[in-house]
Order: sequence, then C-alpha cells, then structure tokens
Amino acid sequence: MSGPAQESGQAAAAAPAGAGRRGGLGQGWPLLGLGLAMLALMLALTVFAPLVAPYDPSATSPDSLAPASAAHWLGTDSIGRDVLSRLIVGGRTTLLITVAAVLIALVAGLILGLAAGYLGGRTDEIVMRLLDVVFAFPVLLLAIAVVAALGPTVPNLILTIAIVYTPAMARVVRAPVLSVKRWDHVEAARSVGMSEMRLVLRHILPIVVSPILVATSLTLSQTIFTVTALSFLGLGPPPPDPNWGGMLSEARQFMELAPLTVIGPAAAIVFATLTFIIIANGLREVLDVGSVR
Amino acid sequence: MTRFVLGRLAWMAAILLGVSLVAFLLMRAIPGDFAIAAAGSQSVAPEVLAAIRRDLGLDQPLMAQYLGWLGHALTGDLGTSFVTRRPVLGELLDRLAVTIQLTLLAAVIAAAMGVATGLAAARLRGVTDWLVRLWNGLMLAVPNYVVATLIVLLFGLYFPEVTVLGYTPFLENPLANLASLLLPAIALALAVSVTIAENTRAAVLEVANQDFVMVARAKGLTPATILRDYLMRNALTPVVTAAGLKIAALLGGSILVETIFAIPGMGQYLFDSINSRDYPVIQAIVLVAAGIVVLVNTLIDIAYARIDARVQM
Amino acid sequence: MTGPLLRVRDLAATVTTRREVIRAVRGISFDINADEAVGFVGESGCGKSVTAKALMRLAPEGASIALGGSVAFWGQELLALDEVEMRDLRGRRIAMVFQDPMTSLNPVMSIGAQMADMLRRHLGLSGRAARERGIELLDLVGIPDPARRIDDFPHQFSGGQRQRILIAIAISCEPDLLIADEPTTALDVTVQAQILRLLLRLREERGMALMLITHDFGVVAGMVDRVNVMYRGEIVETGLVDDVFSAPQHAYTRALLDAVPRLQGAGATR
Repeated sequence: MSGPAQESGQAAAAAPAGAGRRGGLGQGWPLLGLGLAMLALMLALTVFAPLVAPYDPSATSPDSLAPASAAHWLGTDSIGRDVLSRLIVGGRTTLLITVAAVLIALVAGLILGLAAGYLGGRTDEIVMRLLDVVFAFPVLLLAIAVVAALGPTVPNLILTIAIVYTPAMARVVRAPVLSVKRWDHVEAARSVGMSEMRLVLRHILPIVVSPILVATSLTLSQTIFTVTALSFLGLGPPPPDPNWGGMLSEARQFMELAPLTVIGPAAAIVFATLTFIIIANGLREVLDVGSVR
Repeated sequence: MTRFVLGRLAWMAAILLGVSLVAFLLMRAIPGDFAIAAAGSQSVAPEVLAAIRRDLGLDQPLMAQYLGWLGHALTGDLGTSFVTRRPVLGELLDRLAVTIQLTLLAAVIAAAMGVATGLAAARLRGVTDWLVRLWNGLMLAVPNYVVATLIVLLFGLYFPEVTVLGYTPFLENPLANLASLLLPAIALALAVSVTIAENTRAAVLEVANQDFVMVARAKGLTPATILRDYLMRNALTPVVTAAGLKIAALLGGSILVETIFAIPGMGQYLFDSINSRDYPVIQAIVLVAAGIVVLVNTLIDIAYARIDARVQM
Repeated sequence: MTGPLLRVRDLAATVTTRREVIRAVRGISFDINADEAVGFVGESGCGKSVTAKALMRLAPEGASIALGGSVAFWGQELLALDEVEMRDLRGRRIAMVFQDPMTSLNPVMSIGAQMADMLRRHLGLSGRAARERGIELLDLVGIPDPARRIDDFPHQFSGGQRQRILIAIAISCEPDLLIADEPTTALDVTVQAQILRLLLRLREERGMALMLITHDFGVVAGMVDRVNVMYRGEIVETGLVDDVFSAPQHAYTRALLDAVPRLQGAGATR
C-alpha cells in the first residue's frame, strides 16, 4: 500500500534503531556544530535585518547595475537598489515562511502520524490514503497550483507549504510508532493500566524524536527550495518585500552586465539550503538514525 | 502476484480520482468569480455573464460540476482555454511532448552520471570517494533553477556566441533539438544524479559485502564478470526503482528550467497560464502532471515487487 | 608436480580493517598431500578461516591482508603470483565452499548460470556444453530432477540443497584441493551428516584433497586423516585424527574434545 517515499521520510524512517556506521562527510558533532553555527549566523542577520542592512532594500538610486564597491558590497540591481540589503531583508521573509510552514507541517504530521501509527487499523488506512493523495503530487506542482488558486500572500504561502510537506512528516512519525507499539515494555506498561495518552507521550514519543528531528531539518532545506522557487516564478510574497527567488528572476534580464545580482541570491539560497542539510546530516550521525555510510 | 498488481492498479485509480478532485477544487477555490475570469474582463454585461455561467455549468451544484468535468476529461476534453479560446488538449499534448523529451534526456543523463560516480566512489574509495561525496553534498544544496540560471550566465559571459535559449523541434532538426535540450537537461539532472549517485554508492558497498560476492571471487571469475553479474545486477535494482520515483522531481523541476531556457514545454505552459489566469489550463496541467507521476510510480512499484519477490527468499 | 600438494611454511597473516589491525595467523606450517583430508579445528577467532582465505589470497571486503611466509602449491609459490595468475588458480586448482549457503548464492542468477560462468571461465565450455555439465553435477550432488531445476533460482532451494549446489560449483572444474570452511555449521543437524557424507563420497570418487575447517571436533571424526588444532593464530597440536582424539597433548585440544556431545560414546574416551 505504501507509495513512493520522499527523501526525508525514507531515509529517516529507515532504521530508527540505527544501523549506520559513523563516517562519511565528517563525524556527527563537528558537522552539527558547523550547521548550527551557520544557522545562528543566518538568524542573527535576518532577525536584526533592519539594523544590519546598510540600506533600505526598496531605496532606488541612479547607480544601477554597479559592481561590488565599498559603498555597495554586492553592487546594485537594475534600479539601483543595494543587493546586500535586499538579501538580508529578503532572507527574513524567506526564513519566516520556511520555519513557520515546517513547524505547522511538523505538528500536523506528528498528530496524524501518531494517530495513524498508534491507533492502527481503519484510522491508519484512512489517514494514510488521504495523505497519499497529497503525496502523489510533485511538491512544486502542488504548491504552484494552490498558491495560484489562493493568491500569493505570506499566510497562503505558509499554509500551502505546510500542506505539501505534512504527508512526509506523518510518514516519518508513523514508521517508528508502528514498530515501537509492539515492544515489550510498552505492552508491560499497557498491562499495568497506563492510560493511552501517557503511553504515547512517555514511551512512544521519545522514539519518534530522533527521526523527526532529522526529517524536520531535511524538510527545512527542501522548503527553502520550494519557497524560493515559488518566488522565482512570481508566486512569492508580493512586493515590496524582497525575496531571494524573485531577486534571482529579476536579475536574469541584465545578468551579464552585473553577475553579482545573480550570484548574490544564488549564494544566499545555497547557503541556507546547505545549512539545513548539514544540520540534518550532523543530527543523523549524532543520533545514529538510519544508515548513511 | 496478480492480486497484488490488481490491488495496486485499483489503488492507483483511487489516487487519480483524489488527484482530479484536488485539481478541480483548487480552481474553484479562487477568490473572485470564475465566470468573470472566463469572460476575461471585469466589465461584462450581466446577460453575457449569465450565459457564460450556464455554458460552464457554474449554476449547477459543485458535485455535478466535478463529475461533468471529470467525465469530459476522461474522454479527452480538458476544457477550453480562457485565453486562446481553443481546446486545451491540443496545446497540452504539444507541450507535453516537449517536456517528455526534456525529462527523458534529463533522466538518462542523471542515471548515467549518478551510477558512474556512485560506482566509482564505491569501488575506488579513497580520494575519489571523498570527492564524490563532497560534490554530492554540495550539489544537493543548489536548486536546479539556480544551476540553470548560472549556466545561462556562464555562457552569456564567456560564450556569448552560443545560443542557449530556445528550442528546436526534433522533426525539424534532430541535432539542433538535442543541442537545445542538452543544457536544460543537465541543469535538471544534476540534483537527481546526486541522489542516484548516493544510492548507487550505498547499494554497491552493501552488495560488495555480501557472501556471494566473495564466492564469486573464490570461483576465479574476472572482475568485469563479478561487477556485471554479481554486483551491479543486485545493486541496481533498488537504485533503478528509487531513480524512477524521481520522475516526480524531474517533472516539478522542469517547470523552472523550461522557463529559464525558454523551452516551450508543459512547465512554461503552466507558468504562462498562471500569469494569465487561464484556469482551465492550470487545472488540466495539474491533472495530467500528477496523473503521469502517479502512473509512473505505480508501474515502478509493481516492477519492483516482482523483482523483490525473487530476492525476498 | 613436485612434493606434496600444499606445503605451507611460517604462514603469517595480518588483517587490516578500517578500525583495527589483527595478527590473525602467526606463523603456521603444515602440509597437505594429494589425496589427503586434513582437518583444521579451533574456536572462532583462532585464525582458521583466515588461513583458508590466505591460501586463496582472498581478502574480506573492506579489509586488506598482508601475508608472510611461504605457500607452495605443487611447488609453485602462491604468494609470489600476481592477481591475474591467482585468479586462474581459484576455482580451477583450489576451490572453496563457504559457511552460509543461504547467502552464498547470487539471488538474481539461476543456479545453472552460476555454474556456467565458472565452467566458461576455466574450461571454456559454452552454452549447451556448460548446461549439460551443470545437470551432471547437480545429479552428482544429489539434487533431484536436475534437468528441470537447473534453471531455478536459489530461493527455490532449501539450505541443504543450496550447500550441495555450492559444492557442485566448487568441484565443477576438478580442483586438486577443496577447502571447506565450516560447511555444515549453518545447517540443521540431520542435514549436516548428509553434506559430510557427500564431501566424503566426492573425495573418494575424485581423489581430491580436502581441507576441512570447523570448530566442532565431532565433524572431523571419520572425515579426515590428519587434524591440526589451532588456537590464537597458531597450530598447537597436529597428528593423525585417531591419535589426537585418543591422546590429546595440548590442554586446549582436550577442552575442544570435551565440548563434543557424546551420544554414541564409541571411540571417545574421557
């Protein structure tokens, strides 16, 4: 009955008991530390964006398509706006949407996954089948369709992306729950008369935490892609909010004249995505989730 | 086995039904009046608006509308474009053909690159392994539309005489057709090839540890034979199925890449129709694209189950 | 063809994996003659399997083996051969049967194909000839209805049958020496006896030398002429099997003998 498993679901749910050998791109802790440092940097820059950005991101100037200089570290775009400032402020919106959407997907996925996994039987079937329908759509396609239908406002974007990634999250939660359900100490606790709710919270939830953390991180990286892709296509937060995808798209027209207008947003997108991927891999090794050699 | 296949097909039909429902509802969820969008302008006489409503069946209950639309879709009538006033189906098929060419080319490139690098990393290990894994890790962080844009930038800066944008149909000039699709296909393939490479590497490493590979060596077989019959045949099965499931990613990515490279495929069609609020087209594209993904995934599931049954025991 | 079939002197093997370096074999010497059966007995980790792999110059995946000493096969120094020459030898002059029949066959190839690739490689048999020879071999090892079953896949056979097939594959090119590394350990007790009897029969029919490796002294009884007892990479006792059984010199040998369950009672003292 199971359909195709997307990256995060499949990888993270593969072996909650940990079949991995440490190694690969680096041991757990340094990798995780690096990722968290990168995240801290991003958060610092974006949370304090208005203070950090040297210029008003919407401020135009006659100095258009300027190369990097002391005044404009990353140059200016076609109507003279400072690229660096737009990147910093744009990052704020992008991260806001990303984090909010993934948090919602996480909560929804937790509820659905726990319900489906623990209650089993018909509940499991119904929930999973409904999620499979959502899951069947290519992520970007569905996101585009929903945003096109509802209109590209920030709340709609958050909701859309949350919907799109909920099935994957639910799967990641469900898998360990299904296996843990039968464990001896769970049976024992149940036989002693522990209430179902306590059972779920005290015994089952901790098992789910590790793969969920990894999956959340991976989903965050995928969401950056989706959010910036949507804004690239013009379906992102409406102006005057700058956003990385939109900046990239606008820059295409004159990019040979001012490569930084493209390289700037590109680098920002890659940096953000890489941050979450590194965190995911670091978590995977530290928590010994799944098998990545 | 037959029961499984039938069950899987039935399941596929159910999902397709769900997909069609979602596609339908999405377009009905738009704020504003569907009829006005169909008319194309705000200032339209009320009688004309009423006529349009009757025409599109908008005065009927939602369920009836859905069933009507579905019935038409199954017979190939995907509605009429608000913009061109012509049937959606014709234009869609033309665009779909282009997207399929692009996607297939990208799939081939991704498979070739992915398997080659994954295999090299697994067998050669050492520096090669490290480099491949580093590349893989980094490439996963670069979205396909960023790659595409950077490619266009690169050519624009250093090879301005080469045309990278645009598309030549196959029947017009096969070679030019390939040339026009090559760069976009590479941009599309890159991220997918990385996943294939990682899968291949892991699969080959896992198989190489198996007893029967040691036995093959003890039999005195040549490394080439062992690679082909013992390693790859076992390693590739999970890789191929995982790769096939990437069709969804390729289709989604083609939307972006087509736009950047000015390829008149289904992705660009979607983009244009969103900008022009051509809802029947959006609806049709969502249905067809999701339908293809579901179909391909189901076929792969079935194929894998058949092979897996053998390997199971 | 000079001297004994196999003459090993001061064989040392150091296995290096990603995590550790182990001196698995620390200078052992033994001979195997052309029609002899020699047993190697010891607990796991004593180096007997590594010895067998060392003779074939097979390193486990992901590890490397450094070999020292001398391994003379019909007078030819094996440790001096390059990989290509070794490959010609493996399967053709020295063959090996491994422990776990459930995982030793390629799941996606028919057993006929797995026999044919070896016959093609060493004897140059093609298509029809290889298939007929394969059917003969299956019949020889006691697989019923071989002409039909040769196209079946490993999962269609039981553990005991798979081991028979593996033995058939091993002897298919008429090797001079067959190394059997714990050939019955993974099998049911009833099947174990059948497999051992098969090995015995094949040995007698072909005059093939046999190196039987096991942790169970009960297995070598009645199967081999001489026995070497290994402990921690060294041979601690050697001699004719009856002698060792009746009068073990080394404390470790005595411990191993004590571990053998005595149901029959005959021939075993203490």
